[in-house]
Amino acid sequence: MARMLKTGALALVALVSLLLGSSQAFAGMDRSAIVGLLCGTGSHAVMQGADEMLANLPTASPADLDWARAVVQAFSRRTLRCGGGGVGYIATSGGLIDAARLEASPPVSSVLRSPFPNLRTRAALDRLTAAIAVLNAPAPEARLAAVGILASHSDLIPPALAEAALKRTRNPRVAEALRGLIVLQRLHAPDIGQRVAAIRAMSENATSRTENELKSLRADPVYAANPRVAAALDHGIAHVRLWVQVGAVLSLLYNGVSAGSVLFMSAIGLSIIFGLMGVINLAQGELLMVGAYATYSVQQIIRMIAPGYISLYPVVAIPVVFILTGLLGILIEWTVIRHLYRRPLMTLLATWGISLLLINLVRVFFGTQNLEFDTPPYLTGGVAVVGDFFITWNHLAAIVFAVGAFTATLALLRFTSIGLFIRGVTQNRDMAGCIGISTRRVDMLAFGFGAGLAGLGGLALSPIYNVNPTMGTGFIIDSFMVVVLGGVGSLIGTAVAALGIGLVDVGIEPFYGAVAAKVIALLLIILIIQWRPEGLVAARGRR
Amino acid sequence: MSLVTRRTVLTGVAATLAAPAIVRPAWAADTVKIGCLFSSSGTMANLEGRLNYITKMAAAELNASGGVLGRQVEVVVTNPNSDWPTYAQMGRQLLQEQKVAALFGCWTSVSRKSVLPVVEENNGLLFYPLHFEGEENSKNVVYLNSPPASSVLPAVDYLMSSDGVSAKRFFMVGTDYVWPRTINKILKGYWKSKGFSESSWHEEYVPFGFSNFQSIVNQIRTFTSQTGGQPIVVLTVVGSSIADFLRECINQGVKPTDIPVLGLDMVEADLEGLDTTSLVGNLNCWAYLQNAPGPRNQAFLANWAAYVKSSNAPYSPHVAIDPMVSTYDGVHIWAEAAKKAGSFDVPAVRTAFAGLQFPDPSGYTLSMTADNNYVARGVFIGSVNAQQGFDVLWQSSGTPKPVPYSPFG
Repeated sequence: MARMLKTGALALVALVSLLLGSSQAFAGMDRSAIVGLLCGTGSHAVMQGADEMLANLPTASPADLDWARAVVQAFSRRTLRCGGGGVGYIATSGGLIDAARLEASPPVSSVLRSPFPNLRTRAALDRLTAAIAVLNAPAPEARLAAVGILASHSDLIPPALAEAALKRTRNPRVAEALRGLIVLQRLHAPDIGQRVAAIRAMSENATSRTENELKSLRADPVYAANPRVAAALDHGIAHVRLWVQVGAVLSLLYNGVSAGSVLFMSAIGLSIIFGLMGVINLAQGELLMVGAYATYSVQQIIRMIAPGYISLYPVVAIPVVFILTGLLGILIEWTVIRHLYRRPLMTLLATWGISLLLINLVRVFFGTQNLEFDTPPYLTGGVAVVGDFFITWNHLAAIVFAVGAFTATLALLRFTSIGLFIRGVTQNRDMAGCIGISTRRVDMLAFGFGAGLAGLGGLALSPIYNVNPTMGTGFIIDSFMVVVLGGVGSLIGTAVAALGIGLVDVGIEPFYGAVAAKVIALLLIILIIQWRPEGLVAARGRR
Repeated sequence: MSLVTRRTVLTGVAATLAAPAIVRPAWAADTVKIGCLFSSSGTMANLEGRLNYITKMAAAELNASGGVLGRQVEVVVTNPNSDWPTYAQMGRQLLQEQKVAALFGCWTSVSRKSVLPVVEENNGLLFYPLHFEGEENSKNVVYLNSPPASSVLPAVDYLMSSDGVSAKRFFMVGTDYVWPRTINKILKGYWKSKGFSESSWHEEYVPFGFSNFQSIVNQIRTFTSQTGGQPIVVLTVVGSSIADFLRECINQGVKPTDIPVLGLDMVEADLEGLDTTSLVGNLNCWAYLQNAPGPRNQAFLANWAAYVKSSNAPYSPHVAIDPMVSTYDGVHIWAEAAKKAGSFDVPAVRTAFAGLQFPDPSGYTLSMTADNNYVARGVFIGSVNAQQGFDVLWQSSGTPKPVPYSPFG
């Protein structure tokens, strides 16, 4: 009952405001003038129209807001049509409607122009969309997001807008964000207390952008005249500077670790196949590629049978990819490699042949174009942490995945009987055979395991790199480098080497550029191999 | 006793393989060969591979209308494997052994530079379909696409105008080879002539096939936040690096409205597989865009879609990129010139270029002069849309005269 009353009251309010709006009791917007400007030629006219609309938003009636949203949306989506004399229309599935009145328009005979939002007008449209959303979006989350967009352009937003929005919200989080925006907009207020508060509020958000904005405030005469403002500004800049530096260091570390994880994931399969078994497998990169294609196939199958669960495909793909590439590895071992264990040079040629075969097979079945992955929402974008340090989800996922794969592989090698057999065969094949280990079976399983891990590498790389038939060739050199540097036969060595190369590469890049970083990293590797030919972590046991 | 031994099988296979070689001279008189130098493997494969098919499509069009000078056009395809010296080697084979009448090939400038001595030595003719640095003028190369003065500079001018974003600061990211370095050198010279100081730009280079753009995008974010006016990115990375760069931009939340990216080598095919909604507004500049208006473009797109279907080409039937159209134009320009000259001899064909015109899918009428082997094309500036394509943001009113050797270089 109470609820019904409430809806009734709301409807009444809406009706009244609608009536008031149409009878121009509100300081209503001059709709046709604004449409005329938006439909004008050149971005100058469009910007003028957008400014006019923005300035009127704080006092706009709900009906005007709905109208503004419809027009801005039409412009952004390119459904706005302009006729001669600044008359605008919006193209809908049901025909043209008049942009100023939002009513069905009589048939138009003249040729209509569809204005194109260029970069400048697009930015203005984005601001307008946010400004309208902050006033009338139904969901509090949408309003919060809109406040965020407005806050990054606080100098271009009329101060009355935040006040008006504050009156129209009852959500405490939105209200708090809006109050923050109001404080921020008082950077040039005549009242010193308000200015100091604005400076403090600004330095809370420590990014290099804030730092530059605060620094530019030093040119303001008030800075020299008023010691309170000067102190607050100096303190704010020092605070922001500190966190920006912390952020820079963290971001370097993060980039290094994530680059290391990618290297590790591309090398982990090889560290079993080359490191433990001594097979120079040039098809390693292609196993990676097959893993990525298997991931793609899993995604396509889920899309076909259960489109609702499409975002879960990377998780579903983990076992599928591991088993598929593992079986492919066993097939390769059984058909080719097992005949060549005592002839390493021929393995090199044979596996190279396999790599070409795989590339061309995939090319025949899938084509050469980059595959289109449906990136799940939890792998796109990221979050700003401190200063300019920004954590991107896809790289974080690669790190987590690498750590998981490392622990699981290490546990398997250390704590299971098959792991024991693999290590036994690695250390002394003949002796292991003598005490009853089936070395044939162990070889096959170990190769399959290494191939499966490479497949998982492909899965982990698919949200970061382009997936196409030739993607594997780019990884083969890097992965051999990692395995050899880490120490042949040592999984921990592989991890240490991958992390080391990643950190060195990324650490040098901002100072000397990516090309020099690669050169310096390679030089370092040569020096380390000279100093420790057995690699960073040497495997124990007789070879 | 089995009649089919390993030896008989091998002999049979060898005979079958050898047969075309024996048969060929018998009908060689009715055909004329043209050669393709586009990689179908390696880092350039996704882009260059398409050009083999478009050459074949253009040849099929010529053959359907009776061939050239009464002879059917036969396309010889090679695969230089994205390896620059191999382009030269394959080019030599095509010219000396296959005796091709013209070569169509190369994407990167470094591959063109590698083929250049070969075509000059053998007096061949290479049709090069990419826009490039313009610091070259060989009589053995037909430059089908625009030098910087009629492609890059108009686009940069647009971004520096008030209709663009009034760009004041420039972040250049490029792959480390001749094209990006020369383009950036020309741009710096151009900006200097406009009164910008050295502090208003920043240059970064990455190796071929580079994919980890985390640090560079970090640097771009820092660059964006600095004061001194609107920044833009001039992107001259090539191949698979383009998509990797764009993906990192999406993930780090770098928005085109904050810092637009002008991707000089960016085409529709680079956006495949990306969610372009947060890239809307980024720019490129070419002599053709898929959304170019006009019936000729519609016809071309329909032909390509049909050709992909009939030839089973492993590419999207709905994506057409500038170098495809340039290659297509090249085949037709070659045919026109040969018809005009009445011969396939390179010197005769070359003389026939002067005054040649060809209405191409972009909507402009291409023309050549006696001054050089450059082709005058229109200019498009494209803006990324949410459908992984480019909308036409601006296009030139005519075809600016192509000028080799930039005064700013």
